[in-house]
Amino acid sequence: MRALCWNGINDLRVENVPDPEIVNPRDVILKVTMSTTCGSDLHFIDGYIPTMREGDVIGHEFMGEVVEVGHEVKKVKKGDRVVVPSFIVCGNCWYCQHDLYSLCDNTNPKPEVQQATFGQPTAGIYGYTHAFGGYAGGHAQYVRVPHADNDCFLVPDGLKDEQVLFLSDAAPTGYMGAEFCNIHPGDTIAVWGAGGVGLMAMQSAYLLGAERVIAIDRFPERLQLAREKAGAETIDYTQVDSVVEVLREMTGGRGPDACIDAVGMEAHGMGLEYAYDRAKQALHLHTDRGEALRQAILACRKGGTLSILGVYGVMDKFPLGSIMNKGLTVRTAQQHGQKYVPRLLEHVQRGELDPSYLVTHRFPLEDAPRGYEMFKKKEDGCVRSVFIP
Amino acid sequence: MKALVQDEATRLTARVDKEQLEKMASVVLGGALLTLGLQRRSLGGTVMALASSGLLYRGLRGLRQLTSSPRDRREEGARTETPSVQHAITIGKPADELYRLWREPGTLAQVMSHFAELSTTSAEYTHWRVSGPLGQDLEWDTRIEEERAGELLRWESVEGALLPNQGLVSFRPAPGNWGTEVTLHLDFQPPGGALGEAVMTRLLAVPDLLVNRALRRFKSLAETGEIPTTERNPSARQGAHLH
Ligand SMILES: [Zn+2]
Ligand SMILES: [Zn+2]
Repeated sequence: MRALCWNGINDLRVENVPDPEIVNPRDVILKVTMSTTCGSDLHFIDGYIPTMREGDVIGHEFMGEVVEVGHEVKKVKKGDRVVVPSFIVCGNCWYCQHDLYSLCDNTNPKPEVQQATFGQPTAGIYGYTHAFGGYAGGHAQYVRVPHADNDCFLVPDGLKDEQVLFLSDAAPTGYMGAEFCNIHPGDTIAVWGAGGVGLMAMQSAYLLGAERVIAIDRFPERLQLAREKAGAETIDYTQVDSVVEVLREMTGGRGPDACIDAVGMEAHGMGLEYAYDRAKQALHLHTDRGEALRQAILACRKGGTLSILGVYGVMDKFPLGSIMNKGLTVRTAQQHGQKYVPRLLEHVQRGELDPSYLVTHRFPLEDAPRGYEMFKKKEDGCVRSVFIP
Repeated sequence: MKALVQDEATRLTARVDKEQLEKMASVVLGGALLTLGLQRRSLGGTVMALASSGLLYRGLRGLRQLTSSPRDRREEGARTETPSVQHAITIGKPADELYRLWREPGTLAQVMSHFAELSTTSAEYTHWRVSGPLGQDLEWDTRIEEERAGELLRWESVEGALLPNQGLVSFRPAPGNWGTEVTLHLDFQPPGGALGEAVMTRLLAVPDLLVNRALRRFKSLAETGEIPTTERNPSARQGAHLH
């Protein structure tokens, strides 16, 4: 089959690779119908996340049609059209049973890498480094999905691919970030970053009952999406002296009730922010991530919530004193997608959420390297490139 | 006796990803290297850790090397630092069930297959083979020395093993609804001299990794009925289906 492979730093190629096969009894094989870029991919593409190997098939946000089914698969059937969250989860372990799916204990076949780095390993991810298991990714004609009964979600008839594709990652991540905010009527939620995850977090905050949502970014086309698609008020942080002060003024001196950091989302994998200082130039980081999180902490009202969707490894000058003295609650996680996909599908079906506007550029799989290039450089206002095998 | 282990874990550690891991670790810790699987516990540390668990201590009383003094062991030509390694894992199943699964024919072979080829020759005897890239195999037999249903199982290599070793798995109820805490302890006494060196560096450099992975594989088998794998995983590498 054809698949997008990582061959070294900034060297992506579409190549011939062997077709995936059913290996374990709970696997299915999916014929991919659509997949999308994610900012977190840029870090290993640029060579700042280790444990990639030449020839790895990448891509962790995809959907498709089930074409083969392992003998222990009970619910998923051949011909089903499904969307698949990026974390592979077993459904049986303590973490899965407590809705903490990205912490699943049973899906990372190479757990020692993370154990050495984080203390305990998380679940595996498709196409996202060997630290996260080394599974082949979804920018391909076919992909193997383990534990299919837990990890494949049937797409209701009548919904288009681009309406549900982002339920694999951006939408559940944003929704989880909003849920972390424990929103009450009248609450104001500020969201740093108006990329795919940030925009989904803004819309989710409204779905969960927020009164006001304020978006902070600097790219005009993203701020426009935040206003027009997510109904947010916006702050271009390059146009103000102090984001913290502006937010304070906008909220009667209190500060937002909760602040969501969706800036570092690109780094949602190994969290290469630990290489932040060295990496930021090479990565063309468009904002100072540490600064965004610091702003969020300072802006948040006393007793409010800090919801961190971006990833931070080692951060110097982290204002812990501000968190402590202001009594903030900090919530953070990699997406527990399997918890949120069913309710997100309902929102999409009822027309309350339509993430298809994130698709700004479409490519055949053969042109995926170009799609990543445009996405990385935000050429032509690119928010997400999608690939159709 | 060049390379005795060529499993995926070791390849991952030793060949491809070690460099990357080191890069990552040095970035993370500013040079304080976290080398995967290479932390070796001292004998003293291990004994201390074991002594804290009455159950394990009882089980280990039979382990000759551990109860002999360091001097005895030197006189036998063994290293003062016996490569022994222990890991614990929590599995969401009752101890009885896990004990039965461990004893089922085939389970151990599946759980250890990342590192050794196991065949059960009888209820008490297991044959172990660790193969190397040059076709050199290291083989030994182990015999179960102690078994307590739902509690522990202890085995030792039989007389004449080139690499004498012993193992112990214990099952202890975990608090709340966590299930069972399973501890696996492996203990090797490599022979002295050049052969000992080779065994140490090639096989025993990563016992931590082996024990840790064996436990994780057992857990996944017990909790989900299968072991996660990237076998036959598509990639553009040469021999792509070999990971
Ligand atoms: Zn993603
Ligand atoms: Zn799980």
